[in-house]
Amino acid sequence: MTTNDEATTVAPATTVFDVSEFARTAKGYHRDEIDLSEFEKHGLEPDAARLVRVLRDLERSTMARMRNLLVTATHKDARVTAFLSTWAYEKFWLADALDAVLEASRAEEDLPADEGHHRLTASERRDRRGTIRRAISANFAGPQIVAAHVTAGLADEWITQAAYRRLSSIAGTLSTVVDTALQVKDRHLRFFQEEAERRLAASPKARRLSRTELLGTAWPIGAVERPAEERSFFERIVFGGAEGREEARGIGALISALPGMTGVGNSIEAKLVP
Amino acid sequence: MAFDIVKYTRASDAVGWADLDFDEFERNPLPEHTLRSLRYMCDVEYHTVCYLRDMLTTPSHKEPEIAAFMTMWNREEFWHGEALAAVLERHGIHVDYSALKAKRLKLGFKDRLDPIKQSFGSNLIGLDFAAVHMAWGAANEWSANAAYHRLAALEGSEHPVLAELLKRIAQQETKHVAFYATQARERLAKSKKARVIARFALRKFWGPVGSTIAEPDEVKHVMGHLFQGSEGRKLVRGIDTHIARLPGLDGLTIVENSLEARGITAEDLEPTPEPAAA
Repeated sequence: MTTNDEATTVAPATTVFDVSEFARTAKGYHRDEIDLSEFEKHGLEPDAARLVRVLRDLERSTMARMRNLLVTATHKDARVTAFLSTWAYEKFWLADALDAVLEASRAEEDLPADEGHHRLTASERRDRRGTIRRAISANFAGPQIVAAHVTAGLADEWITQAAYRRLSSIAGTLSTVVDTALQVKDRHLRFFQEEAERRLAASPKARRLSRTELLGTAWPIGAVERPAEERSFFERIVFGGAEGREEARGIGALISALPGMTGVGNSIEAKLVP
Repeated sequence: MAFDIVKYTRASDAVGWADLDFDEFERNPLPEHTLRSLRYMCDVEYHTVCYLRDMLTTPSHKEPEIAAFMTMWNREEFWHGEALAAVLERHGIHVDYSALKAKRLKLGFKDRLDPIKQSFGSNLIGLDFAAVHMAWGAANEWSANAAYHRLAALEGSEHPVLAELLKRIAQQETKHVAFYATQARERLAKSKKARVIARFALRKFWGPVGSTIAEPDEVKHVMGHLFQGSEGRKLVRGIDTHIARLPGLDGLTIVENSLEARGITAEDLEPTPEPAAA
């Protein structure tokens, strides 16, 4: 298991992500590619099913993320919004694929309820702050806030892709679904990476805003709205154990290597490991 | 009539034009005033994400069916922008992301729904506002649909390729209309407060689609091009009739009023002669 796919470290100077091409070749509807009868017959073991549920809900939270991005200066950047329109579409269909697996396996019925209290630390409360506060603070931050969004998007991709790989290792039957998801998400990662590196390298303010954003975020993005129990499960299953800690260390190192993010990776790594 | 969201999401696709002969535009280019209107429509489609932003600041997006629709709708509208940009490109008019960005920065996209929210303050909560959002969306989609059909009719005999593309776009807009109208009808029927707010908001704040992102001269050009005269007025009254059939909105003539306010009348004017070639 590697934490650093070679395709993810291409420098923006050598590869410029083609947003039009990405939009043109968007991947939707995956149910036909998945052998659902396998899950109907054999079900899905509880940990795998629970992780599928977490990932489905994270992939599904795109409209909430779009809201947080679009109330800030990000909506003025047409290249970014063109990307986001297709990104949301692709994530919708990833959530649908995971949903198909849960339906076919009927595993959701036996899972613990995914409700309950949120984590209540001050920083988590800040992360849950409403649209209006977000819009006001982002107005002061100006256009460089886009850098913070794409950098957070990048870190989020690294984290959720680790979760998908973990899913595949606990339930081999999910490998087709996981491969599809990783393929789709790889392009999201490449866009965020290119944009983050370019923007962070260009502006001290972008670096400052990104540090603040990354240090204040509950990972993965969207987790802040999830019950504390589910969060602990996610951290335990993905980043618990020797291999998981190694994975978290790798992600931390990738984040810290971004321009101006020295030390940020360590803090995120510490949050990920249970 | 129920709107089948599963069927809609599964059928949702980017509008296609690869099979249409766009070389035709080089042999027989579109007239200047049509290109000007297409440019406006292209901008409006690309800016859908800005409308999405307005809508996401209301609680509507937390409902799964609405979130699913918004995801597909936003992408379909983006592709309408791409399709129209491809037509403009064949006429040497280049619309790219940096031009759009410049426009968004220059005009400062005004949040259409802001004044409404301010008017009602904390009264505007939850489900009631979703009803307003849906009625507003329905009015916009009915207008867009009429605009595409009208332009297709105006250019159909001279430029069948354009007419076919516009027809394809309008077909998708018809589905958007169905979603917004179904949602609006159900939600307005359930809440008196929603009916009162929607009526007030549409009457007081609604303007033609695009009027918040384009210069007034451009709005006037497009509305005049498409809706000046008796035929145009008939279509506009048709849109108003649809809107007025929604619960609580009877008697509203917001589209007709918005044209009158811009000096677009029902009178059939002689077409302005093209300036003689030098």
